[in-house]
Amino acid sequence: MSEFATLASPYSMPVALHGDLDLTVPEAQTRSRALNQFLAGVELKAFKIAQASLRHEDDALDAVQDAMLQLARAYANRPQEEWKPLFYRILENRIRDMQRRRTVRGRVMAWLPLRGEDEGEEPDPIAQAPSPDPQPARRLELDQAMTALEQALGGLPRRQRQAFLLRALEGMDVAQTAFAMGCSEGSVKTHYFRALQALRAELGDFYL
Amino acid sequence: MSPLNEPLTEFERNARVLLEESVSRIDGRTRSRLNQARHAALEAAGTPRRAWWWRSYTLMPTAGVAAAVLVALVLWHREPAVESPVLEGQHAVEDIDLLADSEGLELMDGWDGPFYEWATTNEANVASDS
Repeated sequence: MSEFATLASPYSMPVALHGDLDLTVPEAQTRSRALNQFLAGVELKAFKIAQASLRHEDDALDAVQDAMLQLARAYANRPQEEWKPLFYRILENRIRDMQRRRTVRGRVMAWLPLRGEDEGEEPDPIAQAPSPDPQPARRLELDQAMTALEQALGGLPRRQRQAFLLRALEGMDVAQTAFAMGCSEGSVKTHYFRALQALRAELGDFYL
Repeated sequence: MSPLNEPLTEFERNARVLLEESVSRIDGRTRSRLNQARHAALEAAGTPRRAWWWRSYTLMPTAGVAAAVLVALVLWHREPAVESPVLEGQHAVEDIDLLADSEGLELMDGWDGPFYEWATTNEANVASDS
């Protein structure tokens, strides 16, 4: 039995407690430190997952920030083993909202002759500078493999990509992934299996 | 197939290595922004929310304006339907004046209904003949 079995249903979010952390209480300070540690541990992976879905750095940062805020505000008093699936559930909801909003905005903006945000910007000289890496050939291989993987991930349906990233990058088990995705464990297995098949077909078995 | 709770296949391990490599390459600017976001979230969680009664006080001006607008709208819509008692009184006075008009009563005394009916018919016949 997974430790995560404390959550009642994989389909519904637990009720938000809105229990603010009173930092004057020692127990709350301990909890705040634990939350800080937890968020520090997941923020980079969460950013990557959001970026893979949104394909926009600022939007991905916003989504992660919102998820952090909501977890800290509404679920900080939940048991710590629930934080990770809760956090990814919140993040996924936020990503979906942003994708919907972007679709609507895209429809509206298609009618307006506005210039893109990045047009006319000067290239960043730091980003253009050569890498000091001592193994440029290996670095290049990794870069190519990463680009190929990110492109292949971008081509996956949303649920398959989510299942794959939560498993392969975040290392979550079936129950946690099911809660984070808001579906059954069977659905998680199906999405994950299909994602693997699609990625193998796109990249080959031994692409690294 | 590699069920989720079983050991990873080589393909999955390779993918994980690549994904972790891409995470490790996240630039300093993004890391800094994530760090700031985390501290902001923790700070927000540590800030006590205002009590419900305080929030309700802060909504009072808005609620007051909304109530005033509602009352004004109700009064404005009801105004045409309500007739002023002064006007009703005026109509009543006019009716009494008509009934008490002495000339009208004198005309009614000499009323010759059959003659006026004959005159109207006759006039219509003359008009159709010409």
